[in-house]
Amino acid sequence: MIRQVSAVAAGIAFLLAFAPTTWAHHSQSEYDLKGKVDVEGEITKVEWRSPHAWIYVDVASDKGEKVNWSFELPSPVTLMRRGWTRDSLKPGDRVKVTGAPAKNFPTVAIANFIRDGSGKPLFTGTTQVSGADADAK
Amino acid sequence: MRAASRLALSLCVLTLGPALAGAQWLTYPTPGIPRLPNGAPNLKAPAPRTPDGKPDFSGMWFANTPSRDFCKEKDCIQEERMAREQINLGMKLKDGLPYTEWSKEQMKARRANGGREDPHAFCMPPNFPRAWTLPQHSRIVQTPRMMVVLHEFNAAYREIYLDGRPLPVNPNPTWNGYSTGHWEGDALVIETNGIRDDMWLDIQGSPITESGRLTERLTRPNFGLMTIEIAVNDPKAYTKPWSVTIEMAAIVDTQMLEEICLENEKDAKLFK
Repeated sequence: MIRQVSAVAAGIAFLLAFAPTTWAHHSQSEYDLKGKVDVEGEITKVEWRSPHAWIYVDVASDKGEKVNWSFELPSPVTLMRRGWTRDSLKPGDRVKVTGAPAKNFPTVAIANFIRDGSGKPLFTGTTQVSGADADAK
Repeated sequence: MRAASRLALSLCVLTLGPALAGAQWLTYPTPGIPRLPNGAPNLKAPAPRTPDGKPDFSGMWFANTPSRDFCKEKDCIQEERMAREQINLGMKLKDGLPYTEWSKEQMKARRANGGREDPHAFCMPPNFPRAWTLPQHSRIVQTPRMMVVLHEFNAAYREIYLDGRPLPVNPNPTWNGYSTGHWEGDALVIETNGIRDDMWLDIQGSPITESGRLTERLTRPNFGLMTIEIAVNDPKAYTKPWSVTIEMAAIVDTQMLEEICLENEKDAKLFK
């Protein structure tokens, strides 16, 4: 019985580690999905290409220096089906971004929420789906 | 509930239509499909049939998963849809998939590596049957002697011969193998062999190998729904044959959008 429970627990833990989104073509194990990045800054570049769009944002550090963050977004295909166009975000736009940080790169993250400078939501994603929902066996 | 969700989605599309006009054909009405008086697709209408009376599976399809709101903020504006089977194809089986010891070892190694060896993560082709559960759309083009399945991911295709030919003997293994189909009443039964030895069936790495034989049984209960019974007989990977059934929803008033994964893949560099 204990062994059975352990197996289920291991399965659930495994699925949580592999929790995908509808827009991920990868396992996302390169990101710390429990961590949080919350920054505000100015977009310096937009890559509107598959399999994931990327935006680059200049953020002022605590020391006042500019740090350029890279944020992974869903694919352009997914974003287009949500009503985005390739012009929805442009260099120079001010944005607030929350997301989950990469485990091994200090200024890389996967975005799950983007707001414009006034706080209006531009994109809502999700970084995970509950692995327990998948009834791991 | 599910029907309500789809109706809501359709109405949403109709509402957004004018705002998105000009955005390619993302909201362009599909001609020749059954519709309700309000213009929404009639998903409960009878399945269309070909001139020779067979069910016609032609059209776009996506995993039939209810819309769920995973957002955590009050002004959340998006819902996510995904086939949960993309994580674990055997999730609905009481005891899960019957892995052989070899399979268990494979999956243990895949787990230890955080799934970074998943062919999908490296932009490899969308192999069937996994492709049915991926978050990209499929389009079936059905003719009397061949069914073609197009897939958005890497703009891929799969041929299913309906002309009575036998499966090949000792074929060169490929990502989708070699498929033939025959009719059993209103069900199209697709048999596949010649699958590569290193394919993944889901994100957690359930294997299918060259020794595997895949049978997919397609039915279309109504216009809006297709069911696919996926049966796998692979003695290398599984201790006994097993089958699961997934549902696909008809997707209309939109178009296929190509998603070429290698165009700008950067995630592999983040695995370090």
